Amino acid sequence: MNNALLLGPIFFPLGGAALGILLVRNRTYQQMLGLLVGVLAWLCSIAILLANLNGDILTYNLGGWVPPYGIVLVADLLTSLFAVMATTVMAAGILYMLGCRDKSVAVPAFMPLFLCMGAGLNGALYTGDIFTMFVFIELMVIASVILVAISDNRLGLEAAIKYLFISAMGTLFLLTGIAALYASFGTLNMADIARLLASGNRPVLSQAAAVMLMCAFLLKSAVFPFHFWQPDFHTAAPTPVHAVLSSVVVKVGIYGLIRITTLMFTDETPLIHSLLLVLGVIGIFFGSLGALRTYDAKRLLAYSTFGQIGFILVGIGWGAPATLAAALIYAVNHSFIKSALLMITGVIASRTMTKTSRLSEIGGVGKSMGFTSGLYLIGGLALAGVPPLNGFISKVTLVQGGIETQQWLTLGLVVGAGTLTLLYMTRTWQLIFKQEPDEKVQIKPYGDSILAPTLLIGVCIMLGLFASPLINLALRTVDQIGDPSRYIRAVLGG
Amino acid sequence: MNTLFAIATGIMFGMGIFQLLRRDLIKSAMGFYILFTAINFLFLAVGAYDGIIAPYVNASNQMNEQSSDPLVQALILTAIVISFGSYALLLGLIAVSSHRFRTIDSDNLDRLKG
Repeated sequence: MNNALLLGPIFFPLGGAALGILLVRNRTYQQMLGLLVGVLAWLCSIAILLANLNGDILTYNLGGWVPPYGIVLVADLLTSLFAVMATTVMAAGILYMLGCRDKSVAVPAFMPLFLCMGAGLNGALYTGDIFTMFVFIELMVIASVILVAISDNRLGLEAAIKYLFISAMGTLFLLTGIAALYASFGTLNMADIARLLASGNRPVLSQAAAVMLMCAFLLKSAVFPFHFWQPDFHTAAPTPVHAVLSSVVVKVGIYGLIRITTLMFTDETPLIHSLLLVLGVIGIFFGSLGALRTYDAKRLLAYSTFGQIGFILVGIGWGAPATLAAALIYAVNHSFIKSALLMITGVIASRTMTKTSRLSEIGGVGKSMGFTSGLYLIGGLALAGVPPLNGFISKVTLVQGGIETQQWLTLGLVVGAGTLTLLYMTRTWQLIFKQEPDEKVQIKPYGDSILAPTLLIGVCIMLGLFASPLINLALRTVDQIGDPSRYIRAVLGG
Repeated sequence: MNTLFAIATGIMFGMGIFQLLRRDLIKSAMGFYILFTAINFLFLAVGAYDGIIAPYVNASNQMNEQSSDPLVQALILTAIVISFGSYALLLGLIAVSSHRFRTIDSDNLDRLKG
């Protein structure tokens, strides 16, 4: 079964990047091309999701080679859910870039690199071959490192060097895991590995591979022992890049974790789950407390991402189908809320003279910006989980799942830490929008466009008011990935 | 042969990790590259069980029994390209940072804090 639709989300951005390099002399055309390509990728991913809803798992054999020999692109509901989330935020990021006044956005290579990052992100989600996943993750990492290195913030360079070293360690783990898997099974196709693992053939080396892959994915998601790079790297990034990095790029690791626990290493899953539970709870507390004591509005949101990833890990760690569905809902909702909040913070920062987002310097900058203030408040309340916004839906489904699985200790910790979110978001909102501005502070009359965050906040409100489609989708996804044999049959046939 | 591979890979990993942990960023970047070469060794070792000749089909369209595994060599090629690109990028970043921050000591690159 070859479905050429699967090529869209990967090759539209890649082609757009190549064409964009040819159009360096004309920035308007380049930006229009970027927007067109972003929207096309978004439409493709939605079309794939709709095709998935009919119950099919779509595959595309690249170059006509039959799996497990060739590289195969696979889209089941889990992939499609994450890809729709990723392409939506990517398209919003490109839209933000059109109205962005940063110097770095005017660099000719900015748009092609941004599209490369998107192609890497989508490719890592859609591929059914673990080595191709490594290639796409590297494409994403290298593009994002360059984007952060050319940031307006001079310290972006320092952050880029740090991240390149750290991500090299992640790559090292991933490659060692892939080598161990290849030594054990002689194949790199995830479905084929899953088939061989399910047939009871379990060499010791395959368990080492599970550990290695887990380390790599935890590092990509910035989970507790590997988290230290994340606030540095994300704070220094240009706003549109930060919005994508902090919301969807960190979800690649989550996707990988869900994929290896549900498809490949199903026997080791209870052990992995208990580990994820501990790491998740630590992440929630570290992230929330870090956000409370930090000095910079963008850094605060980066720490908050660290905490919110913890909630998702707890959802996966509880291990029941309902809690896994809650984790998926949480991941999707968090992406939209966090990217919107980051873009709004970028809009505020663009109104200051030095384009800083230090809390000591942006106090009161938003005093006269009523609409932006409202958007930030809605986003903050959504992040904290106040009804009727989408953050409330994700928190409620998570707590319901926790009650069903009767994990009272972790449930109490999670609910308690959830209130910290409300604390740091309202505190920042008051500081930026309610305080009288300092007399020395000069505010520019113009700044970045507010269009993209407005649309994303609109999505957040819609997902809060009409939550049942997303909840049903997540439940169907969990139902589908709960039976790995369907994935294996779709890829390998028979 | 396998013992030799195992020892060589182990030595490469050790050298790479030692270099990577140095304070000098350029030495550290060299460690980065040595580690990737060590990974390539590991891949080669994985596919090198009984192959001693190049994997071509012979006149009767059959694979020779002693041909080596071609897939790992394709993987290594890809990994070399990627690691070489990352290494070049890393050295470029270090060169710019030596101008901008006047240091290549990783202990002095600590302005992002909090």
